[in-house]
Amino acid sequence: MNHFLTYYNETMLDTHSPADAKVIPITTCAYRRGAFEACHDKFYGPSSPAATFLTRILRRLGLLKKHRGKLPFLLLLCSMVSCKKGDNLGDLNNIPGLGGDSSATTAIDQWIDDTLTVPYNVTAKYRWDQNELDLNKDLTPPMESKLIPVLSAVKKVWIDTYVAEAGSNFMKTLIPKFFILVGSASWNTDGTITLGSAEGGHQIILYVLNNFYTKDMPGYVPADSTNIIQMFHTIEHEFGHILHQTVLYPTDYKTITVGLYTANWNNVSDAQAHQDGFVTAYARSAPDEDFVEMIATMLTLGKDGFDKLVNSISPGASVDGISQAQAISNLRQKQQIVVDYFKNTWSIDFYSLQTRVRSAMVSLIQ
Amino acid sequence: MKKRFFIYALVLPAFLVSCRKDKTIFSQSPDQRINQVLTAYQDSLVNSRYGWRGFIFPKALNGGVVSFYFAFNNTNRVQMFSDFDSTSAVTKLESSYRLKALQQPVLIFDTYCYVSVLADPDGSVNGGTYGNGLGSDFQFSIDTVTADTIKLTGSQHNTRAYLVKAAKQDSIDFYSQQYSNRNFDKWPEYLTYFKRVTVGSTTYEVQVNRATRMVTITWIDGNGVTHKMVTGYYYTATGVRFTVPIVDGSQTLTGFDNVTWNALTLTSTVSVNGTVYPVNGAARPLSPDAGAPNRWWGYPQALGNAGGWASVKGFHSNGVDDAFGVQAIGNYYYLAYQPQYQLTSGVYDLLFFYLVVNNQLTINYAPAFQPPTIYSDGRTNFSILGLLGNIPSADSVAVMKSALQLGETNGYYFVQQDSTSYDMVGAKDGKTWISWFYH
Repeated sequence: MNHFLTYYNETMLDTHSPADAKVIPITTCAYRRGAFEACHDKFYGPSSPAATFLTRILRRLGLLKKHRGKLPFLLLLCSMVSCKKGDNLGDLNNIPGLGGDSSATTAIDQWIDDTLTVPYNVTAKYRWDQNELDLNKDLTPPMESKLIPVLSAVKKVWIDTYVAEAGSNFMKTLIPKFFILVGSASWNTDGTITLGSAEGGHQIILYVLNNFYTKDMPGYVPADSTNIIQMFHTIEHEFGHILHQTVLYPTDYKTITVGLYTANWNNVSDAQAHQDGFVTAYARSAPDEDFVEMIATMLTLGKDGFDKLVNSISPGASVDGISQAQAISNLRQKQQIVVDYFKNTWSIDFYSLQTRVRSAMVSLIQ
Repeated sequence: MKKRFFIYALVLPAFLVSCRKDKTIFSQSPDQRINQVLTAYQDSLVNSRYGWRGFIFPKALNGGVVSFYFAFNNTNRVQMFSDFDSTSAVTKLESSYRLKALQQPVLIFDTYCYVSVLADPDGSVNGGTYGNGLGSDFQFSIDTVTADTIKLTGSQHNTRAYLVKAAKQDSIDFYSQQYSNRNFDKWPEYLTYFKRVTVGSTTYEVQVNRATRMVTITWIDGNGVTHKMVTGYYYTATGVRFTVPIVDGSQTLTGFDNVTWNALTLTSTVSVNGTVYPVNGAARPLSPDAGAPNRWWGYPQALGNAGGWASVKGFHSNGVDDAFGVQAIGNYYYLAYQPQYQLTSGVYDLLFFYLVVNNQLTINYAPAFQPPTIYSDGRTNFSILGLLGNIPSADSVAVMKSALQLGETNGYYFVQQDSTSYDMVGAKDGKTWISWFYH
């Protein structure tokens, strides 16, 4: 056995380099003496385990070539070999696009690497790649001038505050590793726009970067603060999903406003949703969304903002017959479950986190 | 024997299979060839000494074009100008691009730039629809590359686009911000709807549609035959150039150079082949569309009067939009001409004033008209029959002025823009018009 292997290796290495290997049709070699040698040409390197295996068999059979009766069988083996075809696979180290796209590194790339990739193993993809996004939507890539302001705000408001409350290991474990940045909003056929989406705790897509202005940027008007609040609402919302997909919240939560969840949430205004004990209209779409909308709203509005929201619920019953007191109680129950969930599951003081997030946001807009 | 047959039965397919194989058509692997093509494209983009002129035809413009100047470098950066608006025509923007092997090699403008402005789904950015923008692309497959032209096709909307090697002067003009002449954009300020320029012995009527970036040029040749041509236009350093030249016998109009604008007289001059010509306002069309009034009047009826001819701004008169102030009417939404509307008291042509009351479209009053009289030359007269409903006194001036204007005795000419929009121009002096769209 070893003998044949050695023979094979020596032959192949000495006389048959892949570059000059010839291709001989099996129909010719089949009727010639020394058919096996011709068929050897089909192996392009000693490193292929399949080639090694077949050569061993051929060599072994070669010993038996006196036995003419075996010839059809040998030919059959050759034909099996021929199925492998002799295509040169080329330079496998130089397949275009393998390992992702490449562009010359810019200052922005360097900044992302230093600020997010090195400390948190997070990267942000901002150069257009349609495959990351919905193929049916009209979207645009983000403006380069928005990237560093957006990402540094993300770090300041979201990453730094969680790190301060829960430690960097918490964040390094749960942080979605992949940000995809999109310049425009994602417009839905029902007239709504999507501001962000998350996939499996791995990636977050952020839309509408091109409308991002902080108070330090030229062209900022107070109305832009809405965009900032929406953007962090989106991030906290998606991160909330990651948290509850890791450890589910108490199922009691789902029973607080049971029966009021609806797919037609977009036909309901936020104010109407409040009247039913939901923090936003979108919270009405499903309990999971409700839970993370609570997290996102409480964090981005701050304690005062949230209290103001709860107190804005007007007297009288809602369209769905929920009284003012019931709506307030619904929201307060949800609030308590969120706070307890953060405490019991993640050992995070929610109110302290809320204060940090809100003040970081205020520094961007006031 | 049986065994041998079995063996041959097995071997025979091997010969058949083997006939197919091992024909090496290409000397290199697909990856090598893709890399070669990408490198070649990259080189041709970068190596154009004075950069490239770009022409993109967004889907929503139906043939209108936006022109660009691009200078690519080999570190994925591109500098550009765009004639989309007067600012982008003189403001250099640098962004990134890359070439990528998808099903075809593609050129991607991969961060936001003037190219993506056209594709922005925020309609307020480019005047397109919300959700789709102008239906344009910023990722293009590279179709053909010749010495001086690269033909591109958008990946998402099949947007047509071309890159043409720029001349030295193009590069100089863009970088020295010479592309600031937008006098052509002032033409809608002419007091008259119709504008004519006479070059040689031919008079051309020029109608500009700024929204779609198209011009319609009408002329009557020596044999009395009317010609009409619609073409996109893009801006040059001194004027505009047509995407398709106007060829009239021996005379060719490639565009207008040195377009001037006199803000006092509200008139313009252009030069064609080095000679300056005035652009004159005209009271009537060069060749009225005699069939347009009937098409316009019959269209809602053919659709069962499910909709009518609507206008948001009402009449434009003597250079003033919404000359009668209809938009100031309380709860005003739009006005609409409804031919042959069936009421219990009879069938009327009605000028509806749609209001929004309690979140519902409401009609409280409507001046009524007789069916229009259409003359053989395309002129159309409306005559007032009366008024249905009661107009609040605060709104009566705007309503009655509009109704009286519609009943103006000289009548109107119709200019069809597309199947669902017409402009109706007062025949008295061509200074009053209203734009209808089917709604």
